[in-house]
Amino acid sequence: MILTPNILVRLVAILVGGVILQLSFFSQVTLFNVTPDLLPALVVVLGLLGGTLTGAVCGFWIGFLLDCLLIAPLGGASLVLLATGYLAGLFRERFEIHSSLVPPLLCLGLTLFAELGYGAVELMLGADVQLSALLIKDTLLKAVFAFFGGWAIYLGVRRALRPALVEDPAVQRSRRRPTVLGI
Amino acid sequence: MYRKQVRRRRAVLALLIVGSFALLTVTYGQGSDGMQRGVSTIFSPLLGAADRALKPARDLVNWFDETFEAKGRNERLQGELETAREQAVGKKAALAENAQLRKLLELDRSGAIPSGYTPVTGRVIARSPTVWFADVTIDVGSGDGVEVDDPVVNGDGLVGTVEAVTGGSARVTLIADHSSAISAKIVPSGTQGVMKPTVGDPEDLVVDFLDSEKLVGKGQSVVTAGWRAQGLESGYPPNLPIGEVVEAPLREQEAQQQVHIRPFANLRDLDLVQVLTGGARE
Repeated sequence: MILTPNILVRLVAILVGGVILQLSFFSQVTLFNVTPDLLPALVVVLGLLGGTLTGAVCGFWIGFLLDCLLIAPLGGASLVLLATGYLAGLFRERFEIHSSLVPPLLCLGLTLFAELGYGAVELMLGADVQLSALLIKDTLLKAVFAFFGGWAIYLGVRRALRPALVEDPAVQRSRRRPTVLGI
Repeated sequence: MYRKQVRRRRAVLALLIVGSFALLTVTYGQGSDGMQRGVSTIFSPLLGAADRALKPARDLVNWFDETFEAKGRNERLQGELETAREQAVGKKAALAENAQLRKLLELDRSGAIPSGYTPVTGRVIARSPTVWFADVTIDVGSGDGVEVDDPVVNGDGLVGTVEAVTGGSARVTLIADHSSAISAKIVPSGTQGVMKPTVGDPEDLVVDFLDSEKLVGKGQSVVTAGWRAQGLESGYPPNLPIGEVVEAPLREQEAQQQVHIRPFANLRDLDLVQVLTGGARE
């Protein structure tokens, strides 16, 4: 990703807008008794478009802003989301994406990873609680929401950051290297 | 050139990871610090405006969800109605007991506040998105008289407690959060225990360490114990309604029993809440 001042402004707007939309809309609606969490999907998309460094940095700042606005202990969400962004970026750097199903599938998988990560951070900090079986259902449903939400986020963010993207889709199509879900 | 890039990338990544751990170490259990207050002060008005602007869209989505759920609930309610009718006809004593309980609790569901407390009404403007935390941010803070550890209620009962405050907002840790532990009392038996949540299911709270000699039954109410002893006291005033017992397994040969309760307040769908400020601190 080529970072110009214009692109940086767009990135910041995407991060802030994403966190505010999550907290004031998605976190307060329930679908099948579950609140969608689309922030991991946003981080995955940024990692997929920008690579490991962009993914990790955006994940860190999204987590930081999230913790600040929730007045929660800082660092937990940053740690989880930076790992999520890094993994998405790593995927982008190791493989070429030839199917439009890859971004939403990655959103699904890495949202699962992020939700488990939040739990791991809590356990690391010494939480001593009973866990409900509903936790599994909630986590899986959040991942499913991220699959569908991730699709829309990918299209929207790619459009917003198009001038900064290094790889042109036409160039991508011409190169035939190891692919994921490509034919 | 490539190696330099890789080294720089690794350095940034290491810096971010170390930064996250440092933030976690410094701020865990500290409430809010100056930096957090600053960021929160800047973004709270934006969050509040977005919250109001998006309310119609939120209500629409929630309406669809509730309509979908109502279909399934209808059949269940039919069954419950049948059971309730049987109880009404066959067990008038239960009704009398219910009236006694109401008198005992002296609850006014329209908003009676324990004496000495000043209610401050706030609106939920943000909610934690993960399944592991049950906390919300409300649009009243220290500027409105809200302090850390103030209890928070809504029209149905206890909702949680204030965990951190900034000038114009506060974080409320809900009673379903894993960090929550409340001394609770079953009425009418009066037996007391500690209420903790089951993470992932805000409709299932567990009251533990109850004296097994006093029988606790399904449908009994649970309120805050509000104890006071040797200069120490509970953070909650007594007799705030929490929920009702939905499962009370009988375990013989155990000195303590454990019951499951369902909170009166719908913790998944909070909008307006009241922070009980003042109280024993004043």
